Amino acid sequence: MKYIGKGIPGKNNQILTAGKGTFVGDITLPGMCHLAVVRSPYAHARIKSIDTSAAEQVPGVITTITGEEIVRNTKPIPTHSSALGEKKFQFYALAIGKARYVGEPVAAVVAEDRFTAKRGAELINVIYEDLPPVVDAEKALEAGSALVVDEWGDNILSSRIEVHGDPDARIKAAAGTVRGDVRTQRYTGCSIEPRGYIASYDRYRAKLTLWASTQSPHSLRLFLSETLGLRESQIQVIEPHVGGAFGLKLPTFPEEPLICYLAIKLERPVRWIEERTENLLAGGHAREMRLAFEAGYEKDGRVTALKVRLLADVGAPSALCGWGMANVAAFLIPAVYKIPDVKVERITVVTNKCPWNAYRAYGKEASMLMLERMMDMVAERTGLDRAEVRLRNFIQPNEFPYKQVSGASLDSGNYQRVLASALEAADWSGFPALQASAKKRGELIGIGLAYELTPEGGCIPKSSLLSAYDGTRVQVSPKGEVTIMTGVTSPGCGNETGIAQIVADELGVSPDIITVVQGDTDTCPFGLGNSSSRSVIFGGSAAKLAAGELRDKMSRVAARMLEVSPEDLELDGGKIVVKGAPSRSVSFADVASTIYRDAFTLAACDEEPGLDTTRYFRHGNFDAMNKQPDPEGRLNFYSTWPNGATIAVVRVDIETGMVTVLRLLSVHDAGVLINPMLVNANLHGAFAQSLGGALFENLVYDEAGQLQTASFMDYTMPTAVDLPNFETKHEETPSPFNPLGAKGAGESGISGPMAAVAGAIDDALRQAGLSVHVMEMPLTPNRVWKYIVAAKNAQRGNPQ
Amino acid sequence: MISEEFEFRAPTKLAEALSLLERYGDDAKILAGGMSLVPMMTLGLVRPKTVISFNHITDLNFVIDAKDVIRIGAMTRHDTVAHHDLIKKHLPLLATAAVGIGDVQVRHRGTIGGSLAHADPAADYPPVMLVAGAQFRIQSAKGDRMVKAAEFFTGLMQTAVGAGEVLSEIHVPKLPAGAGSAYLRLHRVEGSFPIVNAAAVIEKGFKSARVAIGGVGESAVMIDVTKHLSKGVSDQSLRAISDAAYDASGDAYGDLNGDTEYRRAMARVYAQRVIKAAAAQIR
Amino acid sequence: MKTPVEVTVNKKKYKVEVDTRMILADMLREELRLTGTHIGCGTGNCGACTVVLNGETVKSCCIIAADANGQEITTIEGLSSSATELHPIQQAFVENQGLQCGYCTPGMVLSTLQLLKDNPNPTEDEIRHGISGNLCRCTGYQFIVQSIQDAAKRLSNGGQPGASQ
Ligand SMILES: Cc1cc2nc3c(=O)[nH]c(=O)nc-3n(C[C@H](O)[C@H](O)[C@H](O)COP(=O)(O)OP(=O)(O)OC[C@H]3O[C@@H](n4cnc5c(N)ncnc54)[C@H](O)[C@@H]3O)c2cc1C
Ligand code: FES
Ligand code: FES
Repeated sequence: MKYIGKGIPGKNNQILTAGKGTFVGDITLPGMCHLAVVRSPYAHARIKSIDTSAAEQVPGVITTITGEEIVRNTKPIPTHSSALGEKKFQFYALAIGKARYVGEPVAAVVAEDRFTAKRGAELINVIYEDLPPVVDAEKALEAGSALVVDEWGDNILSSRIEVHGDPDARIKAAAGTVRGDVRTQRYTGCSIEPRGYIASYDRYRAKLTLWASTQSPHSLRLFLSETLGLRESQIQVIEPHVGGAFGLKLPTFPEEPLICYLAIKLERPVRWIEERTENLLAGGHAREMRLAFEAGYEKDGRVTALKVRLLADVGAPSALCGWGMANVAAFLIPAVYKIPDVKVERITVVTNKCPWNAYRAYGKEASMLMLERMMDMVAERTGLDRAEVRLRNFIQPNEFPYKQVSGASLDSGNYQRVLASALEAADWSGFPALQASAKKRGELIGIGLAYELTPEGGCIPKSSLLSAYDGTRVQVSPKGEVTIMTGVTSPGCGNETGIAQIVADELGVSPDIITVVQGDTDTCPFGLGNSSSRSVIFGGSAAKLAAGELRDKMSRVAARMLEVSPEDLELDGGKIVVKGAPSRSVSFADVASTIYRDAFTLAACDEEPGLDTTRYFRHGNFDAMNKQPDPEGRLNFYSTWPNGATIAVVRVDIETGMVTVLRLLSVHDAGVLINPMLVNANLHGAFAQSLGGALFENLVYDEAGQLQTASFMDYTMPTAVDLPNFETKHEETPSPFNPLGAKGAGESGISGPMAAVAGAIDDALRQAGLSVHVMEMPLTPNRVWKYIVAAKNAQRGNPQ
Repeated sequence: MISEEFEFRAPTKLAEALSLLERYGDDAKILAGGMSLVPMMTLGLVRPKTVISFNHITDLNFVIDAKDVIRIGAMTRHDTVAHHDLIKKHLPLLATAAVGIGDVQVRHRGTIGGSLAHADPAADYPPVMLVAGAQFRIQSAKGDRMVKAAEFFTGLMQTAVGAGEVLSEIHVPKLPAGAGSAYLRLHRVEGSFPIVNAAAVIEKGFKSARVAIGGVGESAVMIDVTKHLSKGVSDQSLRAISDAAYDASGDAYGDLNGDTEYRRAMARVYAQRVIKAAAAQIR
Repeated sequence: MKTPVEVTVNKKKYKVEVDTRMILADMLREELRLTGTHIGCGTGNCGACTVVLNGETVKSCCIIAADANGQEITTIEGLSSSATELHPIQQAFVENQGLQCGYCTPGMVLSTLQLLKDNPNPTEDEIRHGISGNLCRCTGYQFIVQSIQDAAKRLSNGGQPGASQ
């Protein structure tokens, strides 16, 4: 019986469905008090003074704290990597001197109950000197713009121009050019569980325990130890059940060291559960990018040159890792296409808005949208089918591993096969007939196609958050019970089940008897947690290695018990069986028992006692293809390169601009699927978040830097009614660089739907004789209506 | 989380509630379904000193056939409005409007009185109240008066209900026999407030025709379109109605769901659509 | 300001004193320690706090705890006595992967309970409308819809998994 490849429901499903999960807000500790954070009401303001006296007089308020105390008693919060060439800044748990976005923590109150804490926070009197806010990335670049960080001299966090070949010359020589200005709006993950922490300090053991709704307990411990000046062994970070994260619960948020500092100071457990408004103001944003492109193509549809100016508005500087998304967006160009001459100019700008944190797809979505819009335009200009144009530009299946001009090293893929499969499943060639009959009924429908590349297993030099390895410990107990402890975590995405399946196959036992322990720095091997779909690839591969060692040891002992050679044995169904002679076996539990309880018997005496192994797995594709950095100074940021084709069918109401997604189909290559059910589950979730970004979600700031969408009343997300039934199919081209052949499937499905829907809207409007290229997300009814009106006016203006 | 302390009262009789209201005046807030009030308190936008819950007053929760009108108690939940046989029979457009409000849970708790008193410019009920010619009963410890729909909505989230007063019931005339009616809404996602919404009632033989549009001004606007429809529905009459809707929405606001220009354009679209839909219902 | 509240929750009577500022969701979670009711937004939009009040689903973040005085409430904990003896709806969610992080799940399950009570045999569209007051960020709703279809079958089949599809 093999478990890899089976769609087994999540191991935690029962307890969570029963409502018996333990999320951080479900935990109470004796003597626990409550934290409330005072947040800046201004986007950009100098903090003149803070008067805490009124708050301190409220009965039940225990303490108040301001930046002054933090600076005196903690070190700056480190950033996750220092190798990306960004400008430096000293981050603290509370704003020092200046507040740089609405919602930035400025002071805090701890009280006996939550109401008092919040009331106390309202009574802290901060005198601000309002400064002109920087809210627009283009304007932030202008000479004379206000400065987010005065010492920097400008608002550029980092920038880079990457040129390969001579795109200018090629564009001049090209048969034609297309241009566009793609904009992805600021939006965010909005896990339904907001952030939350409980910190508790044991004075006698000098040990801090932090229960955190986080994705990376070990990384967080490392950052906290540096900030708080504690030894790592003095900190235990525990990740209980996490109600969704999507990247946005990666450290380090100011509240993390803040609550720990207060718990130590007060020697009492302190809890903070974020309110949704705080989450929208300060829980990390993403996506706001502008990609202006110009591409040259030949008559046969080949794109020969591409120039991109990428401007990212990453919000205020922070110790979070979100701003790196702009780097990835630039790095991915030109993705699955062989475009020889490419120039990418990236400018990463800081503004007085909420800092970016990592969000599912990590920048890939922006460059995918841009590339796919470009391909659609080339198809339109050359008169070629949209699928054909992509085929003519794809990297060929026999070219993998493929080194992109950007330095990216693509492990495996067969884009032609994936695309063909999607076209067939969607009946691409049959669509025009459907479209024509819809038009007769008075309905405008359109179809769109997008190819996405979603590299996973991120790896950044000198990073304490992202690297292409992880560690897993596998234990078999004297009773033959199996426990996996791993450095990767599962904030609600199901990798515990996949990892159990991997180990089940190695040891020939059912995943049901396997316990997976994650998210506890005192129990699990050091690891970098969950992000970048790394958990199965790294944690799973490490689990396979560790379980493999135990399997070998148990086979050797069983071989002696059965008097055969270990090669003649296989592990299956809870037994160790002689191949071809199923009646000759010993149970898995007996072998475990022998090793522990009969360590000096003949069968076990040559083996080291115990069944307990920790292995670290380092992913290939870095040392095999290019050392970091390669001779040209380029880095490869990713281990595996999942990819897929997405096809969307939409209906557009030409009078209102309302877009309805009628169909969304994706054929995806995540390499070997460990658990197809969970892969589909993840894809569905990604599709929903992608369509959310394409059509509904938007974090809007006004000119004063005030967030207009600071509650779910104004931040619109899709409900079950607003989404179609998703269709998924899989093609498997295994990654050659890990023992599972898996490529990861956490972020896939974000980039494709967005771009496919954009293409489908254009296509629908073409049926009405309108030439529209939607470039600006989200495609709300109001915005689509504007595109329609503009196209109609353009038509009227130059009748042909 | 609500941060500011307040006193909570839960009278069981209307008379008791009215005397509490008189006592506390502006410092008190009526709590009906709480679907608007409680979130606003949570966000700190409203900070009443006293909250007077009407949820324990049973005599405000009714739907009664009173000859020419349907009387609806202010504490009647949206879900009841949506599914009550009397309303479905005599005021189908009101039932349709109620079905579209929020979601199942919101409809279970939110009340028609609360929604009307809250007077959101894009709420579902107001256009229906205007075209149906509803009357609102407003009571206080000292008085009891009826106000016409057209005079009830006095401005942005403002109504004729004054301090110490309560909207106690809504009297909606039954549609004339054979009349056609319709209610339509345009929204971003399921459960969200309409961007614009529209209601229409057309009497049999096009004797009279009214359309009201929400989301295009401080409160819903009503247009008498009888004259445009004297010869029935045609491209020409629809164009005239569309123009009238555009003119009537000159005070349209702009927000995240739609800018001014868009709302005015949608006033055109929805006026036409709702008239067509209502005309199709004439029996 | 404290005020006394008497409620029946999952058929059990409770008498507590609560701060008037407390919403029903907090009272269930903090005072009664029934933490299966979650809070995702506090503004009535996400449905994570869904409970059954006098037989109808409501969003317990929009109800002042004191206003629940004298009422009868069912929470997710009222559906099953333990994580191994689940209600057929819960079992359908478990087996159809109708959840990922599980944070929205108690609310989804209770909305399903309401939906299938009102309409034992819903279409896909009716299912989607029935849960439109519950946001899920993990699943894209598809496996939730499948879970509800399966739950409907189970309920019409005495709680047992339905005949093969
Ligand atoms: C998620 C969500 C979605 C929603 N979607 C929609 C929608 O699509 N369309 C829509 O129209 N509405 C929508 N609403 C609002 C909903 O209809 C509310 O129920 C309604 O606006 C307020 O009614 P309530 O009974 O809940 O009143 P409350 O919130 O209790 O009160 C609202 C206001 O009216 C006052 N008030 C209440 N009753 C009376 C009375 N009898 N006399 C005088 N004053 C009174 C209160 O003091 C308060 O100021 C939505 C709400 C939510 C939470
Ligand atoms: S917490 Fe109540 S609806 Fe979101
Ligand atoms: S399962 Fe995570 S929000 Fe629904």
